[in-house]
Amino acid sequence: MLPSYLTLAAILFCIGLYGALVKRNAVIVLLSLELMLNAVNLNLVAFSKYGVVPSLTGQIFSLFTITVAAAEAAIGVAILIALFRLRGTVKIDEFDEMRR
Amino acid sequence: MDMYTKAAWIVPLLPLAAFLVLTALGRGSRRAGAVFGSLFSLAALVLSLLIVAERLEPDAVDYSYAFDWIRAGDFTLRIGFEVTNLTAMMLAVVTLVSFLVNVYSAGYMKNDERITVYYGYVSLFTFSMLGLVLSDNLLSLYIFWELVGVCSFLLVGFWYAKPKAKAAAKKAFIVTRIGDAGLLIGIMLLFWYMPDHALDFTTIQSVFDGQSGAITTGITTLIALCIFLGAVGKSGQFPLHVWLPDAMEGPTPISALIHAATMVAAGVFLIARTYDIFQDSAAAMETVAYVGGFTALFAATIALVQQDIKRILAYSTVSQLGYMIMALGLGSLTGGIFHLFTHAFFKALLFLGAGSIIHAVHTQNIKEMGGLGTRMKLTAWTFAIGALALSGIPPFSGFWSKDLILTAAYESNPLLFFVGLAAAFCTALYMTRLFILVFMGKPGAASAAAHEAPRSMTVPLVALAVPAAIAGFVETPWNGWFGSWLSGHQEPAHGSAAAIIASIAVSVLGLYVGWLVYGRRSIGRITLAERSPWLYKLLERGYFVDELYAAAVVKPIKLAGQLLILFDEFIVGGLVRAAGAATSSAGRLAARLQNGQTQTYGLAAVIGLVILVAALVGRRFLP
Amino acid sequence: MFQIDVTGEFAAFFIFSAIMICGAVLMISLVKVVHMLLSMAAVFLGLAGMFVLLEAEFVAFVQVLIYAGAVSILMIFGIMMTNHQHVEREKAKPLHEALAAVAALCLFGFIFYAIRSTTFPEPGPFDAGEDNTMAIGELLYTGYVIPFELLSVLLTVAFIGAILLARKEAE
Repeated sequence: MLPSYLTLAAILFCIGLYGALVKRNAVIVLLSLELMLNAVNLNLVAFSKYGVVPSLTGQIFSLFTITVAAAEAAIGVAILIALFRLRGTVKIDEFDEMRR
Repeated sequence: MDMYTKAAWIVPLLPLAAFLVLTALGRGSRRAGAVFGSLFSLAALVLSLLIVAERLEPDAVDYSYAFDWIRAGDFTLRIGFEVTNLTAMMLAVVTLVSFLVNVYSAGYMKNDERITVYYGYVSLFTFSMLGLVLSDNLLSLYIFWELVGVCSFLLVGFWYAKPKAKAAAKKAFIVTRIGDAGLLIGIMLLFWYMPDHALDFTTIQSVFDGQSGAITTGITTLIALCIFLGAVGKSGQFPLHVWLPDAMEGPTPISALIHAATMVAAGVFLIARTYDIFQDSAAAMETVAYVGGFTALFAATIALVQQDIKRILAYSTVSQLGYMIMALGLGSLTGGIFHLFTHAFFKALLFLGAGSIIHAVHTQNIKEMGGLGTRMKLTAWTFAIGALALSGIPPFSGFWSKDLILTAAYESNPLLFFVGLAAAFCTALYMTRLFILVFMGKPGAASAAAHEAPRSMTVPLVALAVPAAIAGFVETPWNGWFGSWLSGHQEPAHGSAAAIIASIAVSVLGLYVGWLVYGRRSIGRITLAERSPWLYKLLERGYFVDELYAAAVVKPIKLAGQLLILFDEFIVGGLVRAAGAATSSAGRLAARLQNGQTQTYGLAAVIGLVILVAALVGRRFLP
Repeated sequence: MFQIDVTGEFAAFFIFSAIMICGAVLMISLVKVVHMLLSMAAVFLGLAGMFVLLEAEFVAFVQVLIYAGAVSILMIFGIMMTNHQHVEREKAKPLHEALAAVAALCLFGFIFYAIRSTTFPEPGPFDAGEDNTMAIGELLYTGYVIPFELLSVLLTVAFIGAILLARKEAE
């Protein structure tokens, strides 16, 4: 069963990557990042059951990841709101401050 | 009893200290130059005179000190200083002239904006020249040799706003460089062939003196001629003499110090230092003698028709240096060095006198002068002493040294004897012409407002007039003291009545003819210019040597340079521009990637990752 | 290679993965932002189901609580407070999108190749604990207590930061 879970995780990860690279709404980019993190979580939990030495450590780690992802989402949305207030848009291709 | 001799290394350090102090001061203090320059060179003079006093004791032995400088494999280069009677004499001459020139410049350069810089250069030159004199091996001598060349360049081009001075500085540097290259090759040859690669004069002396056969005659001749080429460049011998007359664009005290008394004598000094090499090769000695003799006559004839007071003296310097070289070539070391010794005094005196005149009349053309004798009595009298010494009139110093050289020539080479006599005649003639045109007759156009120079300029004149008058008595036909002291063993005084009589005769004849032509005008002075204008022109332009060089050397080199410029412009430059264009277009392409958008950067990173993984995975499928 | 042997786990896996992939693809391809978010919520829920299949009940519970609940709501707030009328318009940068698609596909290809070419050893017995939640809790408070505490500090800092960032500048 492990290869199936891993393949699913890979599919989700690549879709998330594509979304993060292409989507123009910053909120959706954040969402795509969450999708990538979820794919990683799936890997962790799958290995925790089907790995060579199954243990609960994988689950613990996925919990940590979820926590960090939550913090990231909160910060991300906060930054977006601040940006929107400043620039009146959340279209990611209108932010090119790094060029200057 | 050799306390001062052991401290000889301090002598060059004194002007070096002056140079450093003056450089540190910058242009701020105008009086500092004269004060520091004069004080430090006075200290160097006192120390040098003390050293000479020590050397005068009969049991004085040569002293040398050296330490290991560079070790490379089994070769050790030692560097140090050596005091012999010859170097002690040179120390005294250099420091004396340097001190007097320092004092003189205080008046002459008073209104120059860069007087502190000037004094810095003069001190640097004095340091280099003293270092050259004290060097105990050829390599350090060569370093100082180049240093004096640099100082000469800086001082000839001191008024660099004048295009002529700039050109003269370049010319002096480049022409002497040809000689320097010869000297360098000579040093390298010596290094190659000497046992243990020794370059110090003591070893050179023992190797070549002992007829050890370590070096074959052919190689010895080659080495001697290479070293002689260095001397030809520095001492302005034919065919590298062309820089010396042009070097007169520098300030006149510099002409006295560098281009009359000290630096140009370095070539003579070099030959004297390596005299054992020359003595081993008859061919080299002959070359030296003939080049010297030819230069002596050649330059003297040019000096006959020049109209610039400093150029006359410059050609005269070339001619007198020719005498010294000729003496060395004839085997008379004493004669060459003796003439160097006396010449330093009377030629420095003449140049400083000329400087005093130029200071008064603001022109260098002797046709515009005249009648200055009454207005500038002191200058006229001291100048007369210098002129008589140069012309070889007894009992002034120049007579004794010139007579020694002519005696040597009379005994060994009749042809050079007559050449020497002819040159002596010309010398007396052009000095008479110079003196009469400048100091006698009706006041010229420029001499109306002339007045005697300030004290700081006249005192050095008097101070130099004394040795110019009496320095010759150290070596006379009946007293060989100077030669004995110089060589370290008893040398019989020798003189030949025929040579003395001939020498006095041509000098007096030269004076008389000069008096007839320019003083009494019983012979028309423009006859030569009218009768054979081509000869006059030939002499005036210095036998067209400059023009010849311009056509034969400078033009082809410039042409080659232009070809190379084209090559550089289109091929090298094209390549460079192509490389630049390629880089900048690649940069423009990459800059488009820098659009500031996170997603583009992310995409680039992902593509990079994919390529990396592809490379790693792809390896598996390779055979 | 594909030895399909239809068990209850496989069937459930098939259904959940279908839901998740559909949700993910819809999230990419839908036009309205709110719709994207809703399809994403389906992915989150499907993942929770997967966790249950993998005997990770507590993680599944947390997944529902945090992702399907908190993060989705947070994102909805984000959209509401920014530009909820936003509609993805025509593709502005076709080259960029094509390159991204190719890169993502290639990456997937590599990972898939790696998964397929790896022989996974037979897993040992997995003990999810009699009570999964209690087992995790014990682990968290014994072996992983330091990362746990650090994480709590991180969360606090992050939320304070978020509040500071998002609040209106004082006039």
